[in-house]
Amino acid sequence: MSKQVKAKSGGDHFTRWLVIGMVALVVITGVVFSIMSSTNKANESFTALKNYPLGAQVAGTIDPAQGSGLVLNPGANVKIDLWEDPQCPICRTFEESNGAYIDELVRTKKATLVYHVLSFLGDESIRAANAAMCAADEGHYLDFHKALYIVQPALENSGFFTGPNLLKIGGYLGLKSKSFTDCVTKGSKADVVKAQEDAMPTYKVTGTPTIFINNKLWVRKSSNFDPVEFRLAVEAG
Amino acid sequence: MNAFNRRYQNRITFLARMLLGGVLLVAGALKAFSPAKAASAVAAYKILPTELAHIVGYALPWLEIAIGALLIVGISIRFAAIVGGAVMILFIAAIISVWSRGLLIDCGCFGGGGAIDPSKAAAVHRTYALEISRDLGLALTALYLYFFPYGLFSVEKSATTNEES
Repeated sequence: MSKQVKAKSGGDHFTRWLVIGMVALVVITGVVFSIMSSTNKANESFTALKNYPLGAQVAGTIDPAQGSGLVLNPGANVKIDLWEDPQCPICRTFEESNGAYIDELVRTKKATLVYHVLSFLGDESIRAANAAMCAADEGHYLDFHKALYIVQPALENSGFFTGPNLLKIGGYLGLKSKSFTDCVTKGSKADVVKAQEDAMPTYKVTGTPTIFINNKLWVRKSSNFDPVEFRLAVEAG
Repeated sequence: MNAFNRRYQNRITFLARMLLGGVLLVAGALKAFSPAKAASAVAAYKILPTELAHIVGYALPWLEIAIGALLIVGISIRFAAIVGGAVMILFIAAIISVWSRGLLIDCGCFGGGGAIDPSKAAAVHRTYALEISRDLGLALTALYLYFFPYGLFSVEKSATTNEES
């Protein structure tokens, strides 16, 4: 195929570089604008954590016999297994309607809670799950878990759950110890996080949130995790 | 074919510029103002490490806007066509990669994006095929513009318009 050619070629180099420069300028300005607007949004969500009332410590242990889940308050009459991903928006809905009740069950020792923090939604879930397990070592899994859902961005893997931001979340709660910081930065809980994720097929968990009450799958009838329905199911055992 | 092209090249080039430029401009603008969404859409392809994917997600919409504007106004058309065509080939490669790895995602081509429910697998695969053919068409449009950049309503003009040399 023959090409069209431009007759005039003087000054052409200048024009070309000018155009390339302009394109680069538009792209760079745009990137800066985009990054700034997402950072702003991230900072806004942190304000929700200001004056967060840190709860009392609750000791947790990882139980390899229960899919490496984090067991809080073992030995109660009712056992609830929660399979969640920190980035899953429906888990946030569940947390909003039932989180306070579950916290109360644990803190008043009325139920055993086994948390399975999944991370199939990507790198950011892995980092958030790791940080949650670090918080568990400090005895503040419940608080950190709640905070993760308070600040959860509307979109998965949007660059929010980074090491520094996770430390910031911990900071708002008052988790500033060196052990916590190191654990988050180094990703020290990678093994546990992976083991929890790998346990999914064993328990036939294919999505989140999945809830078992006394090892029985809870099948909800309401679309929005009706707190009354959940409470009745837990009380029925 | 050659005679046809010689006769109508002016208009074909114009239409090609409007088509490729228009699609790029619209696709870019729809994404540029929801940057977090665009960033997470690129991350959903799981080709680049998350951080790098976010940078690409932030930059790509603006590149599309810049290239689209050049094509519509008609400046540095050949350069814009090369970049536009390269971007299309990149998109095609990305969709093929996602398809072959069995991932189910929304391409995020015009905003949105992310993982999709496995029950919709058949529909998603149909969408992949459509997206690949659409991007292939746009890549061919870019190729045409590479060979015949000068036509109607263009700021930049060739001294030998409509003549092949």
